[in-house]
Amino acid sequence: MATVTFKGAQRWYAGADSPAVVGLDLEIGDGEFMVLVGPSGCGKSTTLRMLAGLEPVDAGSVFIGDRDVSLVPPKDRDIAMVFQNYALYPHMTVEDNMGFALRMAGMKRPERRRRVAEAARMLGLTDYLDRKPRALSGGQRQRVAMGRAIVRDPAVFCMDEPLSNLDAKMRVQTRADIAALQAELGTTTVYVTHDQVEAMTMGHRVAVMNEGALQQVDVPLGLYDRPANLFVAGFIGSPRMNLLPATVRDGRATLGGVEVPVPAAADGGGRAAVVLGVRPESFRLVPGDDAAALSLEVALVEELGADSFVHGHVRIGDERQLLIVRSGDRGSVRPGEVVRVRPDPARTHVFDAQTGARLD
Amino acid sequence: MTAVQQPAVAVSRPGPVSGSRSRLPGRRIAYAYILPFFLVFAAFSIYPWLATAWESLHDTRLSTYDQSNWIGLENYRNLLTNHFFWNAFRNTITIGIISTVPQLCMALGIAHLLNYRLRGRTFFRVALLMPYATSLAAATVIFAELFDPKLGLVNWSLHTLHVPAVDWQGSTWPSQIAVSTVVTWRWTGYNALIYLAGMQAISGDLYEAAAMDGASRWSQFRHVTLPGLRPTILFTIVVSTIGAAQLFGEPLLYHNGLPDGGTQNQYQTLGLLMYQQGWTNDRLGLASATAWTMFLIIVLAVGVNLLLARRRELRDHGRRRHASTVAGVPEVTTR
Repeated sequence: MATVTFKGAQRWYAGADSPAVVGLDLEIGDGEFMVLVGPSGCGKSTTLRMLAGLEPVDAGSVFIGDRDVSLVPPKDRDIAMVFQNYALYPHMTVEDNMGFALRMAGMKRPERRRRVAEAARMLGLTDYLDRKPRALSGGQRQRVAMGRAIVRDPAVFCMDEPLSNLDAKMRVQTRADIAALQAELGTTTVYVTHDQVEAMTMGHRVAVMNEGALQQVDVPLGLYDRPANLFVAGFIGSPRMNLLPATVRDGRATLGGVEVPVPAAADGGGRAAVVLGVRPESFRLVPGDDAAALSLEVALVEELGADSFVHGHVRIGDERQLLIVRSGDRGSVRPGEVVRVRPDPARTHVFDAQTGARLD
Repeated sequence: MTAVQQPAVAVSRPGPVSGSRSRLPGRRIAYAYILPFFLVFAAFSIYPWLATAWESLHDTRLSTYDQSNWIGLENYRNLLTNHFFWNAFRNTITIGIISTVPQLCMALGIAHLLNYRLRGRTFFRVALLMPYATSLAAATVIFAELFDPKLGLVNWSLHTLHVPAVDWQGSTWPSQIAVSTVVTWRWTGYNALIYLAGMQAISGDLYEAAAMDGASRWSQFRHVTLPGLRPTILFTIVVSTIGAAQLFGEPLLYHNGLPDGGTQNQYQTLGLLMYQQGWTNDRLGLASATAWTMFLIIVLAVGVNLLLARRRELRDHGRRRHASTVAGVPEVTTR
């Protein structure tokens, strides 16, 4: 059990124009499940690999507990890693794979067998201990990779996109399994993914990264309800948040002829150009005679059963903007129609059009 | 809509039949393309192979080629009771071991080093192929000079280290070691490149996983590299075994082009013996019998190699079967 702390940790690959990770500051609590999420190339995997010791820390430092591990080799950091393609030793049985670290640590065979058997029981792998990885399904291999990490009882788990090689159904199942296992073991976990659904459902807290820099760290609903900037606003949530250009004056934003009250902070400094962020479910369909509404030309309706998402265009100034709106009523809107939609002022986010930062 | 589609499907059905018919001339052309290889193979491999078998059952001599008589297995009986055959057989095995084992071990070590990020790696890779690209004759003649008991650089170096001179020509072991050195020098780099290719096919993740599991560099080599290279190693062993069994040029040129393999035949291999029987002693029938015996020895050696590898595979397979409890399948050699 341990905390993990990044203090200005930086990684700059030889020959690159900019660092892969720009001085990262992040504190991860003891027993916490921290998810690092972002698009590919955002530095999330590099961050994890710096923690694991597979990448050098070029500036700043990484702490596990109170110990600065920046210069400590991977094997002495007391961490275990689950790789994206599992990296199971192909010529070893499941038992040997799971027990390899214990064997390297000089543990005697009976004790090793006992620990492996215990982990195998937790993961439902008891019947497969004699098999080689190639005789296992994808889901089983994934569990062996998990098992290899948990038999060591390390201070920290590092997981690098461990679900991305599974099919969709298996992924949902394993997502829940990993979260439950982590809760049971209480081991500090750093989990990297590009999938915001995994981030939202698994993490105690989520760190969103982009272009090597940390954008925001918060609990999942915190990110959803109060995204710190335009990047987080667009990245978290599916379908993504509608981001619309607007002008602001006297505490009211004007959006294609519709006025929306905005927080005082958004008006300070005489800002005129802002970006309004409105999630699909924060629009309401209103009757045609409502003056304070936008006209949406419907192009496509996605019926998902519980929800339907209406895709269409609105005219804001001289521009046609794509807009996605959730409709509660099934079959009430058809492509080709024009409907009136109104943003909910209480759930409208305002961002600086220049810096992208949240204004309130 | 569906009414229109239906016939379209029906029409397209005979497609594959007409397709396979139209493929037939194509297939003939394909055979025509590979025919030259088979013609050359038949003329220079199959025919000599069968003709040698035929000659080995006659008392063929070059001088009286038309009057060969059928003598059955007499040549083989002669061979197997012949002191020179067993001497050459023993030499072939000992030189084979002295040249192949260190050669493959060194190749593995060199490949392992070159697999690391190394300054000037490309230079070393090219350098490895240089001995292989060097003419066998040139290399052997130079090595013969180096190992010259009186004037050679090797004995001179030993002398400066106060080690008594070694008779690299006359004594059995030193002469065999000298011949093996030429073989090792020429082939180590070649095998190292094959191993290097095999190593680069091993996923880098496995090394990272092993590093995190606490494996040292040596443990990584033992538990990740070696098992991953197993098929490559088997391949090089088979190729080297065949090469060692046919060893000819090096020992021939080491003794100024004479096929006796030294004054006491101390490094005469089967290849040299065969040449000596056929061209020096004019006994083509006996030489043919030697050739066929060599062929059988190689088949046997390679067969044993493959059998060992297959047994290992079966053992793994057996374990898996055992684990998945397939009913009625007998346990396969679980040791």
